[in-house]
Amino acid sequence: MILPRLRLRPVSRLGQGAVSLLIGALALSCSNNPYPDADDGLKVLYTVYREAPRTLDPAVSYNVGSHKIIGAICETLLEYHYLKRPYEMIPGLAQAIPKAVPLPDGRVSYTFELREGVMFQDDPSFALGAKAGEAAKKSRLVVAGDFVFQLMRVADPNVNSPVMQTFSKIDGFHEFTSNLMDMRKDPEFAALSVREQYRQAGPVKGLVQRGDFAFEMILSGPYPQILYWFAMPFSAPVPWEAVEYYDGEEGRPRFADHPVGAGPYRLAQYDKQFRIVLERNPNWYGATHPEWKAPGTVYPAEGEAPDTDGVSRAGKTLAFIDRIEFRREKESVPRFNKFLQGYYDKSGINKESFDKVIQGNGLSPEMAAMGIRLHRVVDLSISYIGFNQDDERVGQAAGRHGKLLRQAMSLAIDSDEYIELFLNGRGQPAQSILPPGLFGFDPEYKNAYRVVDIKRARTLLSEAGYPVGIDPETKQPLKLQFDTYATSAAQLIPIQYLIDSWRKIGLDVQVASTTYNKFQEKVDNKVHQIFQWGWVADYPDPENFLFLLISKMAGDKGPNHTNFRNPEYDALFAQMELLPDDAARADLIAQMLDILEEERVWIELLNAESYVLYHEWISQYKPPGFEFSTIKYQNIDPQQRAEKRRTTNQPVMWPAYLLVLIILAIFAPGVVTLIRERQ
Amino acid sequence: MLAYVIRRLAYGVLVVFGVLFFLFVLFFWVATPDDIARRALGEKAPAAAIEQWKVNHGYDRALWPWESYDDNMLFSHYRSMLTFDFGRSDADDVPIMEKIIKGAGPSLALTVPMFVMGLGISVMLSLVVAVFRDTYVDRMGVVLCVLGMSVSILLYIVGAQFLIAKLLRWFPISGFDPSPDVVARFLALPILVGLISSIGSNVRFYRTVFLEEVHRDFVRTARAKGCGEARIMVRHVLRNAMIPILTQIVIAIPFLFTGSLVLESFFGIPGLGALTVEAVQGNDFATLRTMVFVGSLLFVVAQVITDVSYSLADPRVRLE
Repeated sequence: MILPRLRLRPVSRLGQGAVSLLIGALALSCSNNPYPDADDGLKVLYTVYREAPRTLDPAVSYNVGSHKIIGAICETLLEYHYLKRPYEMIPGLAQAIPKAVPLPDGRVSYTFELREGVMFQDDPSFALGAKAGEAAKKSRLVVAGDFVFQLMRVADPNVNSPVMQTFSKIDGFHEFTSNLMDMRKDPEFAALSVREQYRQAGPVKGLVQRGDFAFEMILSGPYPQILYWFAMPFSAPVPWEAVEYYDGEEGRPRFADHPVGAGPYRLAQYDKQFRIVLERNPNWYGATHPEWKAPGTVYPAEGEAPDTDGVSRAGKTLAFIDRIEFRREKESVPRFNKFLQGYYDKSGINKESFDKVIQGNGLSPEMAAMGIRLHRVVDLSISYIGFNQDDERVGQAAGRHGKLLRQAMSLAIDSDEYIELFLNGRGQPAQSILPPGLFGFDPEYKNAYRVVDIKRARTLLSEAGYPVGIDPETKQPLKLQFDTYATSAAQLIPIQYLIDSWRKIGLDVQVASTTYNKFQEKVDNKVHQIFQWGWVADYPDPENFLFLLISKMAGDKGPNHTNFRNPEYDALFAQMELLPDDAARADLIAQMLDILEEERVWIELLNAESYVLYHEWISQYKPPGFEFSTIKYQNIDPQQRAEKRRTTNQPVMWPAYLLVLIILAIFAPGVVTLIRERQ
Repeated sequence: MLAYVIRRLAYGVLVVFGVLFFLFVLFFWVATPDDIARRALGEKAPAAAIEQWKVNHGYDRALWPWESYDDNMLFSHYRSMLTFDFGRSDADDVPIMEKIIKGAGPSLALTVPMFVMGLGISVMLSLVVAVFRDTYVDRMGVVLCVLGMSVSILLYIVGAQFLIAKLLRWFPISGFDPSPDVVARFLALPILVGLISSIGSNVRFYRTVFLEEVHRDFVRTARAKGCGEARIMVRHVLRNAMIPILTQIVIAIPFLFTGSLVLESFFGIPGLGALTVEAVQGNDFATLRTMVFVGSLLFVVAQVITDVSYSLADPRVRLE
């Protein structure tokens, strides 16, 4: 073989210099800091979102992630007290929480008095509202018409608001919707601006403006819970100018991607695939009118204490944070690691790290030593196993036998074990339909059928006509069906646990697994038998849970997927929903819970618990058990954060140098030997 | 050559038309406009909203020309794609062209340096192992290349995120920020992973190509004339091995635009690869069919360019 003859020349001094410079620059630029160094000392809250929001239109978005953003941009008429538990409403843009005034014809009226002098954020769209000869406006006052306009948007089927049905209790709401749809059949009308369309199709009979700063809302019947919906972004005022201007044409974004509101923050950057930035809104009424000391603009003096840095801020004007950066993190592991590195201020706990983070009921010593804190909050939610009451085996259709069967099955399920096995202990066994934190929840209440008692379960099963679980017709264990849309092995394991629990009392429950659509179809057609579902509160009122089992919500009309129909329960509900939180209401709720305890329409499984981790530089933090915007109350110590990040994120460079040495060590002997051979 | 190019382009047009028809069948006939609307608006969306959504997205027309010759979805699908008027996303109503333009930057920022550096390093290493063929260096190179090829890119990603980003803290674990002062930090790790995962197969391929050339007569002649080994490898071997290298390069170019599906998804880079993955996950059929069309179009064009580049690289190649 002919060996090549090498002519090796020394590397030029320039080359050596360039290589050294490159290596030096690389070493210096090594940093895991995902933010510009200049942002180090700024009061910026860094948080995450997983999925790019489909819409930030407050009338449409019904998603926890999007509400975190919209809640900071759009101010609402009413809000929740940050620190009080049970949850309490406070006025926001409204001067006071309106009182229900019954009208002689059975309708109910609420009058919202607005704060005068509240401005929208600055936005180019306000140029549309300038009259001829007037200079282009940057902003304008929030007036009653803006609320009416937004509620008309909720009524507009083209907007596709998910709360259309809820607000349809406003008198004339449906008529407005029908008018609008009829009139839109005329292409000339459909070509008009939305505001003009609403003007011609309206007004909504139950929305009456009383001057510029008040409006009356008339409901077709009593519905006290309507006020809670005014603490959510759906009814937040939006300027008609922005809705018209941001139409997605000629390079302008859609309104859904460019919300304009009157909240403490405004959208500064919206690259929804990777970053959403909010910055202080200098027009926010808390900033422009601190002298009002409006409840939603000052730090509260009452309520449960949040974690603080030891400084009392009661009465201080909000907001404390200058900028909020939402960064997109789709994968849980990088998200959590960045939190540990100090680059996100708060985090949940991913499954993979749970044992490392939590020991016993609290933080592991390792996490505590890193200055991480833990908040545990029971969500206003419930997970349950339901029985279709139209089913001939397990439902009301089976009469007393069905009820005894349900009671027996309830006694076989161990919620504690379920929570421990499948939720890492993140939950509380549920005793009733009501989660903790709601009026009517009694911590002392013990449901007679939410204990594990296999012996009693077997007795009840015998009374139901299935001794040791045997179906007398087939002489085989009673066959039942658990309908689910879970299809993966991981999702089916918890269901298998339930099935094994029932097997202990002799029942043979089979899993019928299908797609979500097919499952939904089964539920709509009432051909399901046993299923698992959950509910998360929209607002902190027991009505929002107890309504799940009223007759008029059965079938495809609402979320009563059990099809439970009980006139006594319905009558109690009808009384309860209209009462304020007083002893009479508590008594009615107790009676309703008694019915549910005996009927066993649901096996109340658990109330999930959220674990929130946050760093020591975050203060005044108290996460709520359901979604409402709290960012304006939170505070950050940016200097402490910058210092901590610096000390914990120094790059470890020696492996790079070692790697270079190893490569040289591998190749150098070969090269040298070869050169020698050839010389 | 012109006739050849025209003929190839004509074949390409046929391929693109075929792809468009396939997309139409898949996204309009198999998945009906009603399905698409319900997936976009939710199962419980009111019928009026579904109808309006279909009108807004142009899904309310007849499907086939024989149902309505003037106004049908088949013709409008061809028209919109071929005029690059891709319409709006099914998921969030954003113009798809806007999404493509926004995604192209991050994709190119990732794929171009990865491609250029990958090509440079692979060719350089291949030349080195070709020089030291049948020696300890060559065998060590082969072992490392096979090792590199055998490991899944997912393992490289997870390993790099754990070792380089978490333990050694050299770069951010994931994410993206186009600001000039931090963009390099975000791209360093995915580029490194992309290089390591591709370098094994590339070096093996180029080594084979170079070794084939190394034993040719013209190399022996050059050596006999006293040419230095470095000059032989670069001036003679590399130049004569350009055809397979060009094939690799030009075929890879369309994929630079369409981004890297895996790297972008795992590192949270908002490029066109991530856009495609999300379109799949989010039932965004309009974006998905556009990305498939753009990919096929770029591929067809790249193939023609490859053929033309052969004749430029090697005068012996005649395109007829």
